[in-house]
Amino acid sequence: MSGVMEKPIKIEDLLQRNVYDVDEEPHIVIPMDDQTGIPKELTLLCPCSCYTSVGEKLLYSYEGCLECGLCRVVSNNPRMKWTYPKSGRGIHYRFT
Amino acid sequence: MVGAPPGVPTKFDVVVIGAGPAGSSAAYLLAKEGFKVLMVERGRGPGTKEVYGGKIYAAPLREVWPELDKEAPIHRWVTREKMSLVYGDRITTIDYKLARGVAFTTYLTEMAKWMAGKAVEAGAILVDEVVVEEIVEENGKVVGIRSGPDKIYADYVIDAEGVNRILLEKLGLVEKIDPETVALGVKEVIKVGEKNINERFGLEKGEGLAWLLAGDITRGIPGGGFIYTMKDTVSVGLVLHIGKALETAQKGALQESVPLLVEKLRLHPFFKRFWKDADVMEYGAHMTIEGGLRFMPKKLYMPGLLVVGDAAGLLLNTGYTIRGVDYAVYSGKLAAETIVEAHNNGGPTEENLAKYEEKVKNSFIYKELVKHRGIEKVMSDPLFFTKLPSLVNRLMAKLYEADYEEPTVLEALISSFQEEDLSLTKLLFKLLSVVSKL
Repeated sequence: MSGVMEKPIKIEDLLQRNVYDVDEEPHIVIPMDDQTGIPKELTLLCPCSCYTSVGEKLLYSYEGCLECGLCRVVSNNPRMKWTYPKSGRGIHYRFT
Repeated sequence: MVGAPPGVPTKFDVVVIGAGPAGSSAAYLLAKEGFKVLMVERGRGPGTKEVYGGKIYAAPLREVWPELDKEAPIHRWVTREKMSLVYGDRITTIDYKLARGVAFTTYLTEMAKWMAGKAVEAGAILVDEVVVEEIVEENGKVVGIRSGPDKIYADYVIDAEGVNRILLEKLGLVEKIDPETVALGVKEVIKVGEKNINERFGLEKGEGLAWLLAGDITRGIPGGGFIYTMKDTVSVGLVLHIGKALETAQKGALQESVPLLVEKLRLHPFFKRFWKDADVMEYGAHMTIEGGLRFMPKKLYMPGLLVVGDAAGLLLNTGYTIRGVDYAVYSGKLAAETIVEAHNNGGPTEENLAKYEEKVKNSFIYKELVKHRGIEKVMSDPLFFTKLPSLVNRLMAKLYEADYEEPTVLEALISSFQEEDLSLTKLLFKLLSVVSKL
């Protein structure tokens, strides 16, 4: 263990420590053709780094979502869908 | 109802949305009074969507559960409160020792499970893994809830959906959340071990520490860091003002991602000694309320509906302490009292349920929120998150790190202010305005 914990853990590895039951259906959907009102700074602000940018576009992967709601609050795009995952799916906190 | 066990009736006296602290407190008290209560929880069991851990004040909880101290999953009683101003690896700390019994640490996941369990014991029915999609309104009255195609009717609906309050927005009771009124909490749970925690933090068995940090760990974003000791783990993380975080990032002044900032706090040259060699067990994030009264809906009720807990904006963040769980539980108690009275006096009418808002406004919760009104404005002033921690640590360095010539306090003060390019009167004025609002 010694030394291993001395470097920043990559977000993918941090999320590996969590328990998820991933829904097949995404609970967050962002439009691809018109992303007006969805700040590109989400790549920095999203606590699970679920937002990545490819060129001018934002991509979103919902699997690691911590369901905090930040992206919904800072976005203003009527076509963005943000719901809680259905049927007990999504993040399953054990401690925190 | 999707996922609901067969035989669950479709009409209840009370439906509670969300089995968190506010919902479970209301459900428990109403079930105890003989009401037919249904709690609907979106997670796989109560607590599984909770992120807080967390110092909780005991007194308001004891009013609902007098058995709290004996039965609840209390990890440690807080006996040390620390506050630090951090600038690089320089740290100035206030360390306060207090007696056991005021506040305790726990994971809210465990605590919420205990509270919901109490409600079930008292006779409430809990249905989990169900996301409520709509609060059903008919002719200006709330009459139930909907999930998928299924509706469940109730005389009273208690909205304890939490900070994201999607349902209240849909119902038109609140506007879209203003980023200026909320903060993001991000947290790591680190497995340090009970003995290590006691030794490293200087705690006796069962004693806990709550430690708040302000300074450059948030890169100028209003907010701060926190460290809480659980039984055998330590919770470490950051709270960041969302509106100001977005502004900072948009200005190009944020170089690191939020998860990296949290990791850098874990690896901070001073703080890392407390969890040396220990692994991270869980990584969570949750939104919290920064705006106090600004987050509160204009009305906490309508015919057939009461709003409690975070959804009602009942959380106080003064910068040195955060009170949300106890406020939530207490608001659940006030909602339950209102419903008992309304039931004996004509039912869920506008007039009867308006008494809930009266009760909230006459309670310590609202008085506290009013008293500390304006603190969030001060707390979103970058001065306190950049210049002040830097200034204080600069001053300490001058006083304590002089190899030969010791400056007088006045000399050290004056040169610190000069180097910081700060006016003493401006800072004193600001400090005075903070102290008056704390």
